[in-house]
Amino acid sequence: MDQAELKAEMEQRWPDLAWRSSNAAALAGEIMGAPAALPELCGHLFLERKLGFAGLIVEEGATAWQLRYVFYGEREREQVHVLVETPLVGKTFPSIAKFVHAADWHEREAEDMYGLVFTGHPRLGDFILHDDAWQEGVEPMRRGFDAAAAERQRQPDADWRPRRIVHERGAFVMPIGPKFSGSAESVHFLLETVGEDVIRATPRLFYKWRAIEKLAEGKTVHEALLLAERFAATTAFAHGLAFCQALETIAGIQVPPRARLLRIFLAELERLRHHAGAIQEICESTALVVAHSQAGILEEDLLRISGELTGHRYLFGLLAPGGLLCDLPDAACAKALAQASAVLQRLDELEKRLRAVSSFLDRLEEVGSVPQRTAFVYGLVGPVARASAVARDLRKAQPYGGYEKLSFEVPMEEEGDGYARLRILFAEAGQSVGLMRQAVAALPQGLGAAARSSGVTPLPLRPGAALGWVEAPRGAAFHWVRLDIDGKIARYHIIPPSFANWHGFHLAVEKFAFQDFPIMLSTFDLSVAENDR
Amino acid sequence: MDTPTIISMFFAFCGAGILLSLAAPSSRQGHVLAWLGCLASLALVVAGASALLAGQTFRQPLWTLPGLAATLTVKLDSLSAVFILITGLVLFPASIFAGGSGGNPPGPSRALPVLMFGLYASLALIFLAGDVVLFLLAWEVMSILCWLLIVAARKKENGCTDSGYLLLAMGEAGTVAAALGLLVLAVGAGSLNFSAMAAAAPTLSTFARWAVFLLTFLGFGVKAGLMPVNFWVPRAYAAAPRAFAPVLAGATLNLGLYGIMRVNAALLPASLVGPGIVVLVVGTLSALGGILYATTDQDLKMMLAHSSIENVGIIVAGFGAGMVFVATRHPALAAIAFAAALYHLLNHSLYKTLLFCGAGAVETQTGTCDMDQLGGLIQGMPLTALAFLIGALSIAALPPFNGFVSEWLTLQAMLRSAELSSTAVKIVFALCGAGLALTAALAVTCFVKVFAMTFLGMRRLPPEIPVREPSARVLAPMFILAALCLGFGVLPTYVIPALDRAVRPLAGASAAAALVPPFFAANPAHTTLPVAFVKAFHPIGAQVGQHILPGRGLVVLHRGSAANPVVFAMSTSYMLIVLVGLLLLTYGVIRLGLTRRRRLIRRACWDGGIRRLLPEMTYTATGFSNPVRVIFDAVFRPTTVEDTRETVAEHFRTAIRREKQRVHVMDRLVLEPVRHTALKLAAKLAAMHHGRINAYATYVLLALLAALTIALLGRGL
Amino acid sequence: MSQWVLHGILRGKKTTAYPARPETAAGVSPGRPVADHYPVSALEALLARCPTRVFSSRDGQITADPRRCIHCYRCVRGLEPPVDWSNTYEWALAHEPRHELGRAFRGSIHICVVDAGDCGACLNEVKQLNNPYYNLHRLGFFITPTPRHADILLVVGPVTDQMRPALRKVYEAMPAPKRVVAVGACALSGGVFAGSFACARGVAEVLPVDVQVPGNPAPPLAILHGLLVATGRQVPAVGAGSKAVPA
Repeated sequence: MDQAELKAEMEQRWPDLAWRSSNAAALAGEIMGAPAALPELCGHLFLERKLGFAGLIVEEGATAWQLRYVFYGEREREQVHVLVETPLVGKTFPSIAKFVHAADWHEREAEDMYGLVFTGHPRLGDFILHDDAWQEGVEPMRRGFDAAAAERQRQPDADWRPRRIVHERGAFVMPIGPKFSGSAESVHFLLETVGEDVIRATPRLFYKWRAIEKLAEGKTVHEALLLAERFAATTAFAHGLAFCQALETIAGIQVPPRARLLRIFLAELERLRHHAGAIQEICESTALVVAHSQAGILEEDLLRISGELTGHRYLFGLLAPGGLLCDLPDAACAKALAQASAVLQRLDELEKRLRAVSSFLDRLEEVGSVPQRTAFVYGLVGPVARASAVARDLRKAQPYGGYEKLSFEVPMEEEGDGYARLRILFAEAGQSVGLMRQAVAALPQGLGAAARSSGVTPLPLRPGAALGWVEAPRGAAFHWVRLDIDGKIARYHIIPPSFANWHGFHLAVEKFAFQDFPIMLSTFDLSVAENDR
Repeated sequence: MDTPTIISMFFAFCGAGILLSLAAPSSRQGHVLAWLGCLASLALVVAGASALLAGQTFRQPLWTLPGLAATLTVKLDSLSAVFILITGLVLFPASIFAGGSGGNPPGPSRALPVLMFGLYASLALIFLAGDVVLFLLAWEVMSILCWLLIVAARKKENGCTDSGYLLLAMGEAGTVAAALGLLVLAVGAGSLNFSAMAAAAPTLSTFARWAVFLLTFLGFGVKAGLMPVNFWVPRAYAAAPRAFAPVLAGATLNLGLYGIMRVNAALLPASLVGPGIVVLVVGTLSALGGILYATTDQDLKMMLAHSSIENVGIIVAGFGAGMVFVATRHPALAAIAFAAALYHLLNHSLYKTLLFCGAGAVETQTGTCDMDQLGGLIQGMPLTALAFLIGALSIAALPPFNGFVSEWLTLQAMLRSAELSSTAVKIVFALCGAGLALTAALAVTCFVKVFAMTFLGMRRLPPEIPVREPSARVLAPMFILAALCLGFGVLPTYVIPALDRAVRPLAGASAAAALVPPFFAANPAHTTLPVAFVKAFHPIGAQVGQHILPGRGLVVLHRGSAANPVVFAMSTSYMLIVLVGLLLLTYGVIRLGLTRRRRLIRRACWDGGIRRLLPEMTYTATGFSNPVRVIFDAVFRPTTVEDTRETVAEHFRTAIRREKQRVHVMDRLVLEPVRHTALKLAAKLAAMHHGRINAYATYVLLALLAALTIALLGRGL
Repeated sequence: MSQWVLHGILRGKKTTAYPARPETAAGVSPGRPVADHYPVSALEALLARCPTRVFSSRDGQITADPRRCIHCYRCVRGLEPPVDWSNTYEWALAHEPRHELGRAFRGSIHICVVDAGDCGACLNEVKQLNNPYYNLHRLGFFITPTPRHADILLVVGPVTDQMRPALRKVYEAMPAPKRVVAVGACALSGGVFAGSFACARGVAEVLPVDVQVPGNPAPPLAILHGLLVATGRQVPAVGAGSKAVPA
């Protein structure tokens, strides 16, 4: 869709809206709207124009609230930001979740963090800050928030009870976690059941909430980069990259070509490693011991390849705003590529073997199915969405960092079940190695042997705000960064893929047999750390 | 004192009870019921015991009815004595309970004690009746009193009157069928007297035998609660007043069984295999159906009612096996099967009364019988819980309690079907044996659920309801019954010889001889057991106590025929000693060996680290039994009504309301079609009434012709 | 199924020789800075680069506190001269004085892993311990889901506010004698999350820690070393420091 066409349509339908065209890459424009028009406008973009909903970014300005609803499409320059600005005194906004269900959790987050009220939202409260841990009225992201005072007045709700949805004779809630299983991440599940079959599962997240968005405020960009890398370290490079891209957009600089290709190389190496780990978890959840061990070997192989290539098994300490902190020699990259190709070959072998095991397939097929429409309405992202025939790959939809010049495919499946998600993981692993190969082949020569860096474009520090995004291994990740006059972080908001997918997780786990729960959990490929931030 | 005197005293106590209840102020009603009820039931116990142990049976013609050529006779034979004894054992604690628990709420009306004493008298009279007329008379009185107790003694509540009418209607239908069956028998014998009927039985034709069997089995089956005519049981139990429920469960259910046993073993000893097989199969199906519904029911009383059906099924199955053994001339096996049936009957009366007292106590203290709302009661009512636990262990047939002994004997009797010659019959026995084994397994599940969901775990009741122990007058009967459950469990070698007096005339062989050999002394005088065999039992100490204990020892042992030398042996007495020893040893090892030098730290149950474990996070009774419900879905056929609510918009789900409704399989298969057909038939018959004179004349003519034909055919027979 | 067994056997043995012999494969450890020979004169530049104050000078020599290092590599990349880097992994530190281990620690050891706000990397490295390369079971260690059977409590993450009661509950639910092994820079000092109002600066604020395993994340071999130190089967690394990392 053309930028002008969209603008024309919007202006015709909502004549009192201000359309602000943007020259920023990929961004079609910003729509300044009145709060009252918000639900309908967002609903139009989401339900009729079929744009994806990335998230809601709340900023507390000096005098006004600014709410930024980010939508993105499948084609170039199809990113639309809907902006609402109101004076700080008013804290009430209409909820768009009525039309845009994907915004459900974003509004709950804003309510918990800023104390904003979204009228018409049926389920505000007890989200990030648990009601049985913190008292009402704690709004940590407000500028004037006093953590010490909140701690002094600590008064958890002692009568907290889980919100129950299932009303049937003898129904009860089966609690799981937060400490459960051998080495699972801390999350709490409330499974509503009448025995035998679980009718509904509600995850209770944010046990691991570290408030890194608050922590980042006032820090330098280099300090904040450490947080971006380390809040969800199994996909550290992707998140670090999104953060750096936001900074580079603010500064308006280009990354040197070699660094750009190396970034792609490393990002795809991380995706390959992550997918191998996810496949291992799926094998583990079906109790297929040998396959679990074999996939485990491959994951450790990839960790060692990363460690050997970059020094760090999880690719920490490589990114710098404007480029990479160090250069990777061509020979080392070629070696890593060869090793990764060998791993991929074994991964393909494993897939062939797994496809022949009927007991394994029986446990995955038609387990945790998510139909396409629901996947779309919930705004699912990443391999999970692609297994339900919702593409949403930012490398294609909103190309960044040089992906537009490389050729690759976005694997898609239609069944939306556990097995489809597993096939996507295998297929994407293959695409990742292909991308790594293209990146290595395209690496420009000519950097002197003495160069310790692949080239970093110096980053002029200037105030501004920008959105950075990447297709992280688990799906679309968006990082919103605002720098103040001193070049310090004024607002940092992360919209991680797991946040979207956790929101939709209950879809996969409705009316299931309890023994399938670990399988659904593993095929949904969720990270608690990424979600909890 | 001889038994007729004691029986007279019993009726005197009942009469006095009625008079005193009418005279005494309402605050004293409970005392009258408790004291005179105790005296009356003690009289029954003494009469039954002296008839069984000392052989003091009697037969006393009362007066001859002019015109009917029937003499009303009262007699006490050994079979009646067993039932009289059981009734006495049940009524004793049940009277105390009724006197103590009836007071809350709303205080026993004057009607309750009067009706109860009337019921006691009619119960005894049914067992004592020596002829058809007195028997049916007493039976009618009993039916009407039961109906009054359910309907009239209680404030009219929803469903309560319906249940009462259903009970009455089913009872009357059963009585009619049974009366017809008895009349066929009486016509054959030319007398209404039981002994004359029994004497004339061998001359009856096969057709008449089947007619008598089917009519009486159907008629008495209604009262016993056998499939497929048991729909009244759960309804009546749930509606029965708290004071009456234990009597209903422990004493009146036995009447049907008495009828079945009286007819099929005493009046008309089995000579055909067919009736026995029918009894066996119906018994097994009742047992399975009963326990399936008991396992999946959430209401304490309803669950106990279904469990009664199960136990009656086991008794009837054992009895049916005995009938087959009698018909196939295996008197020793028949004796074992009859003894097992009577033993189980005795046991069921005891623990079911105990459990109903427990359920009554729970309902009085908490106001509900819904297990999904109970839980954790052991903290407030530890004594009730203990007594209930003993009842649950007994009914779940766990050693060393009484249920184990009789279920074990029943299963052993079934296994002995290998002696039979017909393969088809063997297959039926094998299938029924498997069905009963499944029943026993489900019974354990069922009562684990009942005890755990009611007494263990977290408390689900709202905090404003205080949970306290009931009064001593409620607890005492429970502990009397618990002690009886244990006593009849660990002393089977004394119970079986006592029952033997009733079994021997029915089976033609001694159950005691087949099951309880005298102490294993290598006594050459004792010829039934070979010396080598006896010596094999010496090293394990089966002869211990032979000079100290009276009687035949503590081991139940059966040794098959020479052709089929199957041996089974069991001793709950020794088992008790070993169990107590093991418990003490375990306690000692833990206390002295493992934890003496260690610090003992008590921590709350591990809950996954959540901040607070809430009662709604623990298993409910429905949840616990749901696997059974899912497995047997084909039987239950529940219909699910689901209603999903969303607020604001799609996907915001706020409520999933589901309601599972199920119709009892017997209601579905029997009651509903019967009602449907009856209504249709009535509609058809209504069409006949169109008011034309000649049509009615035709009807009369047809009726006359039919009557004449029947009369001619009857002469031909 | 038999094919899988055969397939597994045919893939050969992958298990590391550690602790019998050191592991020499590349990429098993992110390494850590060694600043013993770093010129004191360049300390200012070094401290400016280091975001977590790993380095300090004592008696005219620069020392690096491994418990603070988050592997940002800013002291080697983009700094002249770079500090020395050591690719070892036997990093675990133990507290003195150590209490008696008791008989319970002589047999096999069960480990309860608690994620107290971990970024996922440490937890992933703990998971690697179960794969054939490290094969935790051969050393008699087993990861158990319930604290009731656990001898060792292995904590990763800086201990978030909302996980604090759960962590305490796990510790209290464990039978004595028990050991607490804190794994990763976050669990030792809060790491990059130190200073957030929603989390503590490491496990030591909540529980008594017996063994500290530095690293961000601590590589599998370092965790293995930590477990062996906790059971007295390996000596702790030199430089066992004070009880808690100074804020």
